[in-house]
Amino acid sequence: MSAEAMVFLFGVIVGACLLFVKVFFVILISDLEVDYINPIELCNKLNQFVLPEMFVQAFMTSIFLVSGQWIATAWNLPLVAYNANKVMNGKHMFDATEIFRTLGQHKKECFIKLGFYLLSFFYYLYRMILALVNDS
Amino acid sequence: MRPAQAAPPRPGFRPPPPQQQQQFPPNIPRPGTPGQQPGPPGNNPIGYRPPMNGQLSPAQNFGPRPPINGGMPRPPHPQDQNQIQNAMRRPSAGGSSLPPSPSIQRPPMPNGAIGSQQSPLLQQQQLQQQYMQQGAPLQRPPPMGGAQRAPSPMIRPSTLSQPGSPGMPRPYQSPQIQARPPPGQFMGQGRPSVPGSPAMNQMVPPFGPMPPFGQNQSQPPTPQMPHQQQYQQQPPPLQDPNAGNLGSMSTPTPVAHGGAHKPKRMYPQGMDSYQDPASNSGFQPANIPGIPPPPGQNTLQPAGQTSQFFVPGEKQGSNFAQPGFQQAQPLAGQPLAGQPNMNQLTNQMGTMNVGPGYGFNTQASSQLSTVALMGAAPRILDLEAPPPSINLPANSSITNSPHANCDPSYKRSTLNAIPANSQLLQKSRIPFGLVITPYRSVKEGDEPVPVVSDSIIARCRRCRTYINPFVKFVEGGQRWKCNMCFTLNEVPSSFDYDSQTQQPVDRWQRKELNHAVVEYIAPAEYMVRPPQPLVYLFLIDVSYPAVQCGMVATAATTILESLDRIPNDEGRTKIGIITVDTSIHFYNLNTASQEPQMLVVSDLEEPFLPQPQDLLCNLKECRPTLEALLNRMSDMFKDTQSVGNALGPALQAAYKMVSPIGGKILCLQATLPNLEAGALKPREDPKLLGTSKESTLLQAGSSFYKTMAVECSKSQVCVDMFLFGSQYSDVATLSCLPRYTGGSTFFYPAFTAAKSEDALKFAHELAEFLAQRIALEAVMRVRASKGLRMSAFYGNFFVRSTDLLSLPNVPRDQSYSIEISYEDNLTIPIVCFQTALLHTSSSGERRIRVLTLALPVTNTLSDLFLSADQVAIATLLANKAVERGMNSKLDDARDALTNKCVDILGVYKTHMTASSSGATPNLQISDNLKLLPLLTLGMLKHVALRGGSQIPSDLRSYAMHLFSTLPSQCLIPYIHPRFYSLHNMPENCGTIGDNGIEMPMPMNLSSERLERGGLFMLEDSQNIFLWIGRDAVPQLCMDLFGVSNYESIRGGKTTLPSLESDFNQRVNLIVGKTREMRRSSYYPQLYVIKEDGDPALRLWFLSHLIEDRAEPVMSYHQYLGHLKDRVNSGSF
Repeated sequence: MSAEAMVFLFGVIVGACLLFVKVFFVILISDLEVDYINPIELCNKLNQFVLPEMFVQAFMTSIFLVSGQWIATAWNLPLVAYNANKVMNGKHMFDATEIFRTLGQHKKECFIKLGFYLLSFFYYLYRMILALVNDS
Repeated sequence: MRPAQAAPPRPGFRPPPPQQQQQFPPNIPRPGTPGQQPGPPGNNPIGYRPPMNGQLSPAQNFGPRPPINGGMPRPPHPQDQNQIQNAMRRPSAGGSSLPPSPSIQRPPMPNGAIGSQQSPLLQQQQLQQQYMQQGAPLQRPPPMGGAQRAPSPMIRPSTLSQPGSPGMPRPYQSPQIQARPPPGQFMGQGRPSVPGSPAMNQMVPPFGPMPPFGQNQSQPPTPQMPHQQQYQQQPPPLQDPNAGNLGSMSTPTPVAHGGAHKPKRMYPQGMDSYQDPASNSGFQPANIPGIPPPPGQNTLQPAGQTSQFFVPGEKQGSNFAQPGFQQAQPLAGQPLAGQPNMNQLTNQMGTMNVGPGYGFNTQASSQLSTVALMGAAPRILDLEAPPPSINLPANSSITNSPHANCDPSYKRSTLNAIPANSQLLQKSRIPFGLVITPYRSVKEGDEPVPVVSDSIIARCRRCRTYINPFVKFVEGGQRWKCNMCFTLNEVPSSFDYDSQTQQPVDRWQRKELNHAVVEYIAPAEYMVRPPQPLVYLFLIDVSYPAVQCGMVATAATTILESLDRIPNDEGRTKIGIITVDTSIHFYNLNTASQEPQMLVVSDLEEPFLPQPQDLLCNLKECRPTLEALLNRMSDMFKDTQSVGNALGPALQAAYKMVSPIGGKILCLQATLPNLEAGALKPREDPKLLGTSKESTLLQAGSSFYKTMAVECSKSQVCVDMFLFGSQYSDVATLSCLPRYTGGSTFFYPAFTAAKSEDALKFAHELAEFLAQRIALEAVMRVRASKGLRMSAFYGNFFVRSTDLLSLPNVPRDQSYSIEISYEDNLTIPIVCFQTALLHTSSSGERRIRVLTLALPVTNTLSDLFLSADQVAIATLLANKAVERGMNSKLDDARDALTNKCVDILGVYKTHMTASSSGATPNLQISDNLKLLPLLTLGMLKHVALRGGSQIPSDLRSYAMHLFSTLPSQCLIPYIHPRFYSLHNMPENCGTIGDNGIEMPMPMNLSSERLERGGLFMLEDSQNIFLWIGRDAVPQLCMDLFGVSNYESIRGGKTTLPSLESDFNQRVNLIVGKTREMRRSSYYPQLYVIKEDGDPALRLWFLSHLIEDRAEPVMSYHQYLGHLKDRVNSGSF
């Protein structure tokens, strides 16, 4: 198995995880809207995933960078920058006191990220298969 | 979540007992009371009149009201012929043409509210009699004794309608009506045929065919001359009520009079008939007593509809008698037009608003009357006016109780007629929301909230709405139809039969069917744990600055003296004290020796409780120890040198102590916390003030307090902040705790107990605060009819789900604003808003307070404008502006305010006036919104929102806090202070009159009112200023301050001496009255401002005169000009 295939295999796995995390976010936020969960619990649950998710995504990007996968890197960089900006402004966490006012934004952001990860996932999958086919 | 609130079946709420509160307790004289006007003009030049013996005759008093109103009615401007004609037609306008003559008993006041105050006692009595007479024959005694309580505000409206009832003496009304030939068309049609019955019945048919009248009314609001507006407005109210008053149609049926059982009105029928009316729009003005028929529709429908609501003989089979109130409604309006006799008019006014209070139709103004804003001083008296009347169709409440709809002091809507769809609302640009003060205080003279104590709580099984006066009984009374979701529910059998006494009971007597504000005693399913006791934990800062400024000593003394006032009905109240500087000191209050034992914890990283119990003690049991501790406290720390303060760790420790029970933590903080968790930096940077970054100073500087607040909210812990700062205290950050836990913040800048005024203010507020009978572990939910949704919440609470607010404590008189949005179009004629507050009362009972507000739905823009409540709108806008200012930029907040004002004015101009496009020379708005620009300007110039780099962020944060928590009653004066001239006030001001202490007439906030030798008072519900001109005569100084001349008066914070002189006593009474006339625990401080005294003080005083120009903000007239330009250049 070539290095490229390995990198994209890693990408596929990480992409799938990120996808799950985002689906989890979306489900919880919808729960909040229909009142199955209260905002404090929601924030406690979601906040523990926020930083890991950002970190994993950034780590994956750096792997792509190191392995010279320029397209994949370029695709991921904007999100890394966006996340970094949020962390620096201290706005990355869900705030239970503001959650209802900002619920719309959070939801929108979740859906966009979900779409992003989905596309990434298929792209990594495609590149992995391509690499495996080329290997053999 | 442990919270007790976890309300049982999905936090449902039940409506609190409706209780009508008078907005103005009877003993509070409202401005506008006869005799309160400033004395006749032309007093001696200096203005001060030494006390005279003997009072002015009423005539004198009423005469000219010079300074305030700007003089007598002016002759109509030639250009405005139209308007004038129009005005003349309206009864109200009639007044204008008559110059106030000395012989007139009451000065023609434009506004209904004013009229009400003036109503002579005699009339009240008569009314009362009428009411009682009427009530007597009825089989069923009026529920709750409401009928007998004639003078109560809610009843009043109904009283009005009484003339219609047969056999009633109609001393005032009939003459009026006859005397006032309507504009020719429909004369006394109905009148003659049925004496005493409401005119409406008979009048109906005639109206249909009468296009002229209709047209007249439907004309776009015609501009009135400013001066006309000022003096003549009142009549309009009168006029409509009659015309539009459907109430009369339905009620005055023979059945009702007979006092026999009335046929029960079935819900479905009512509904249907209501909807199918001939009129095109769903909103039928005619039905609503007191509301002006919308243009075009006005009075036409009656013919077909008369029977809709109540047809004698129809459905008589039912056994459910209707409550006696019914009859009252009809009267509401008689006025037709043209109104000859001033006396009668005034009489009628008096009758209509016998007191302060709002009923269904209390207010007369039923016609959309347009006012030109520019060129005249704003008529500030109308700030006190009741909100526009709620014109519900007759019989919309099953009991027709006068208390069936919510009093505005509990809950008011920005629109008293709800647009049928969001497009209409959008088109009008008026913000739509509720201002709720569910737990307002009940002062002496107010009616207490009725309590339903049999724990029969009928709720809709689908939407969980509590049964209320607007549901309908169907199927012979077996079921009730929810008025929110229209589900059929079983009526509990206990409504008709008491199984304990084995007696039948009368369901119509039930409080929840007669009152819009009721309180239920909740059964066990509304608790997740036994009701918690009251817990007060004092967290006192004892660092050097705190001790130095005397805060510790004052607080200890005050707490000691207030121990008896702390609610402790069941002897369960617990109390604890923690003091903190660089370490945390706990006190064991339960020692055998009765000596308090201090336990010091200096581990600030992980604060722990030194012992598991006895830190919080039962107030009764530990009383001696506690007293010993408080007595000693000021000495214990007097030598402290410690300047550190570990508020954060102390809060964590306090939380550990209180959280198992829930309760209140009172933080008394005089320094900026600077140790460990929660340490704050003095971040105020004068360079940031006035820039777009300023709002960062208004946001929390540390997330610790927000996190802490969320924790507290979860455990039913409320944190209150008393902040004393000689330097920066970071109110913005520290007030986060109260904001999310339902607490309050008090701020005493530059506090020093050496000044007795400072100490007094703090002691008074703390004592009042401790004595408040608060509610605990509360949740609040607002339900609305299908199609509406609560979209945003403003106030001090934590939002726990999309529509559930959690309040660990509910202090008295805190107000919450809620914005409403549309989910769907409304197809129903009446919309209901029900607020339910599930709480534990301070006496340890689990209770549910339910407030029900029913409002009609309308399809027309004119109804919206007619029913817009400027006070509620200003309150909601203030809340929104504060939120905006904190979260984005202050500039944005100010722009948003002005834009909103421009939008409303623009829409009004485009759709409601003849000049829909192009430039107009004046700004026009409906009469009930005419003060909105002034209030907006007041907010723009207020410390909370004003631009410039002069306002320290602490003061601004505190003002913002007040903006979002003060109830309208206090917020409006806070935005637009009251300004009186004292040196020339009439003789009876400051004396005790029929309504308590008489107050002078408020004046416009403009420095042109100031006279060099005058004495003026200005109060904004937080401060009182006495301004004294430099030419004040020595006699005035002597009488008031006991000093020989102006030079010896000391400016600044003062206490007025108590002297023998009559003038001094009167001023003292006025100041005293100002301090207690509103429902709040704030104690306004008195400042004496000398004209040539301390410039800072003088500027501060002058900044309250909002009609003046104050850089960089415009004067009132410039602002109007600015609004006009924007209205003319925009398209709406």
